[in-house]
Amino acid sequence: MGISCEEVWRDVSDYIDGDLDPMQRAALDQHFAECRQCTALLNGTRNVIDLYRDQRVLAPPDGFQERLYQRLGETRKPSRHSFLAWTLTAAATVPLVLALFSARRLIVPAHNTQSPGSGPDARQVPETVAISQDQDDKFYHVAGCSHLHGKPKFLPVGEAIREGYSPCPVCIVKRKPAKKG
Amino acid sequence: MLRKPTVEDGFKKGLASAVHESSARAAEGALINRILSGHKESFMELIRPHQRTVYATVFALLANKQDAEDVAQDAFLKALARLNQFRKESSFGTWLIQIAINEARMRNRKQWHIPMLSLTDDKDDGKAYVPKDFEDWREIPSTALERAEIRETLVKALGSLAQRYREAFVLRDIHDLSISETSAILGISPGAVKTRLRRARLMLRDILAPGLGHDGRLGWASKEVRKPWE
Repeated sequence: MGISCEEVWRDVSDYIDGDLDPMQRAALDQHFAECRQCTALLNGTRNVIDLYRDQRVLAPPDGFQERLYQRLGETRKPSRHSFLAWTLTAAATVPLVLALFSARRLIVPAHNTQSPGSGPDARQVPETVAISQDQDDKFYHVAGCSHLHGKPKFLPVGEAIREGYSPCPVCIVKRKPAKKG
Repeated sequence: MLRKPTVEDGFKKGLASAVHESSARAAEGALINRILSGHKESFMELIRPHQRTVYATVFALLANKQDAEDVAQDAFLKALARLNQFRKESSFGTWLIQIAINEARMRNRKQWHIPMLSLTDDKDDGKAYVPKDFEDWREIPSTALERAEIRETLVKALGSLAQRYREAFVLRDIHDLSISETSAILGISPGAVKTRLRRARLMLRDILAPGLGHDGRLGWASKEVRKPWE
């Protein structure tokens, strides 16, 4: 034999690819003619390559193309996607805003001084309020309220509440909190 | 009587192939320009000839059908998103395979239970590989591939190689890319491609030789066989 088996192992891949010069190729041909083991190596390697080249080995599964096109189609329609994203964002935001609003309502009064009973914020109510002496009016008012009719009577707010008067929904309840100082 | 092919025949054949490739590249370029001008529906037409190649590439590298489908889809989506970055220095198919390989590499890195166990020698490429002696190799006919277990065995054998050998084998032997194309895609020298390819081929033969072809099951070489040269 002109060349050793080790040289064949080194060059057998290039031999298969036809990537050897004529002299090297002739040397391998001569070796294969005399060495059964290296011939088995060559045939086995060629067989392996042929098997893997068969398209059935790594073929895509059924429905691959349809699923691919479906996914590509989804990304090609940004308006629908954006609408979905917008809807989801809105759906998540609304409860959040409501929760914050509720929390504010719960937290803010807790820091304020409550009037006796269920009266309004103390900062909204002056110490002295007015009730009507001669009209059937169960509300107490700020002096000058347009809903205060008849002859006014001025009294402390605590006393008005004790007598069963409620805050006027116009001049007391809707009144903005008075700023301190 | 058949005439022996002459040098002139070979030249004509090569010229015809070059002309065909040139016109295909021109058509491909026109299609890409159309997509970039807003006709994204044409992308399906552009990728149709490459679907099998991309899937086969990632399936060979991941050895898992579900992962392969996900990653192949990701690769196509990425190609669509980055189409304006395609420089047309290579063919679109080559560029697409490059994306697919990168996606498969990323998937392998992401999976915490990976790295995939390599059953093969993953040492220095330059070290000589000593093939196992299986003198009684019996040719496996292509008809055997009709059996699903044979196909699965081949995928499993390929998946057992270190990734760098799988990549070289897939590009060169399965997709029939040239050494220079394989070298460009993998970013390694042509010499390194040849070395990895040689080892991949011999290792696959060693893995498949002991059992495949007899009962269709993978029979890993478990014992040293006397080598005639020893």
